[in-house]
Amino acid sequence: MSSQISTKEKLLYIIDDMELISKEIIENAIAPKSSKLSGPEYAQLTDLLVAKDNELKDTLKLAAEQAQINKKLDVLKAEVERQDQDINHLQKQLKEAEQILSTAIYQANQKLQSIARANRRPVSSEELIKFAHRISASNAICAPLTWQQGDPRRPYPTDIEMRLGFLGRLSDPMNGHLLAQQNNMSDLHRPGHPGEIPASQQNQFAWHPSGEMHISVGQGTVPMDTRNHKQENDDVEAMSTDSSSSSSSDSQ
Amino acid sequence: MDLNVTSSQMLDTSNKRLKVEDLEIEILPLIYEIIRSVEKDNHHDNATKTRDSQDCSQKVLELQKRLDQARTEIQMLAGIDYSKEQQLSHLEALKTQLRLKQELLQKYRYMYPFDIQKQ
Repeated sequence: MSSQISTKEKLLYIIDDMELISKEIIENAIAPKSSKLSGPEYAQLTDLLVAKDNELKDTLKLAAEQAQINKKLDVLKAEVERQDQDINHLQKQLKEAEQILSTAIYQANQKLQSIARANRRPVSSEELIKFAHRISASNAICAPLTWQQGDPRRPYPTDIEMRLGFLGRLSDPMNGHLLAQQNNMSDLHRPGHPGEIPASQQNQFAWHPSGEMHISVGQGTVPMDTRNHKQENDDVEAMSTDSSSSSSSDSQ
Repeated sequence: MDLNVTSSQMLDTSNKRLKVEDLEIEILPLIYEIIRSVEKDNHHDNATKTRDSQDCSQKVLELQKRLDQARTEIQMLAGIDYSKEQQLSHLEALKTQLRLKQELLQKYRYMYPFDIQKQ
């Protein structure tokens, strides 16, 4: 197909040819008699000129037809252009949709993973609430709702509370030691109790079956003050600064 | 020897492009005139001779001008950059392209991959 000559080139060639032939003829006409062409040759030239002229006419007709086809071509090109624009628009929309869907799927996957994680280690809500109570009992997370300026409660242990603790009661040996002795005797009479381990074989701190933490002092153990159980021996006023007793749910 | 090329197109095109009917390709009459004036043998007086030769050269120039004008006008014609067969195949290709693009659009506009009934 590419070896075919275009109509434009054909027309131009014909015109060039006609120019040459006409030059020949005119030169022949003005040439002196000696170098004039013979009759038949002259006739040949003239015939050639006329043939070229007819060819030109036909090619011009062809050019007219091609102009018509060209118009159709233009209309089609405009249509194709419109389709191209539509396709581009649709492509953009599909791309957007794909993006939105992929985001949604990703987030859904993450949710499923967290659900699976949660199902693998279930935690009872009771326990969660219990721990939440214990954590917030010291008021370190948030002040009590009824707290005003001048309220003696603090998010850290105050000096009163510290004095009520073990270190604060070290200088009060009579009361504490007697209690420890009594506890020890009663415990020794219970053989093979699962929770009781000889104090010398363990470290200083030990959990006692009654739920209190004991520290060994000399030959006995002394109960430690942990906040989570009711303290019967303390003053009511002292206890009022410590809100844990009012909010603790149980002591084991 | 009349060479008027007429075409049936009556529509208007842009200024840069000419229609075939605007061409002036009347070369043969000019050549005929030149030959005739060359072969006019005027031996009567020198004035006529010089006038005749002037006429001749003028006609030759006119022929040249006509040819050049024809060339430029041909350049400005629309739609003749390819041969007829090439043009027709181009047209077919464009039609196919249009059809394919329309089908593509049809397919993707009205496809519905997510069937809500299937749960």
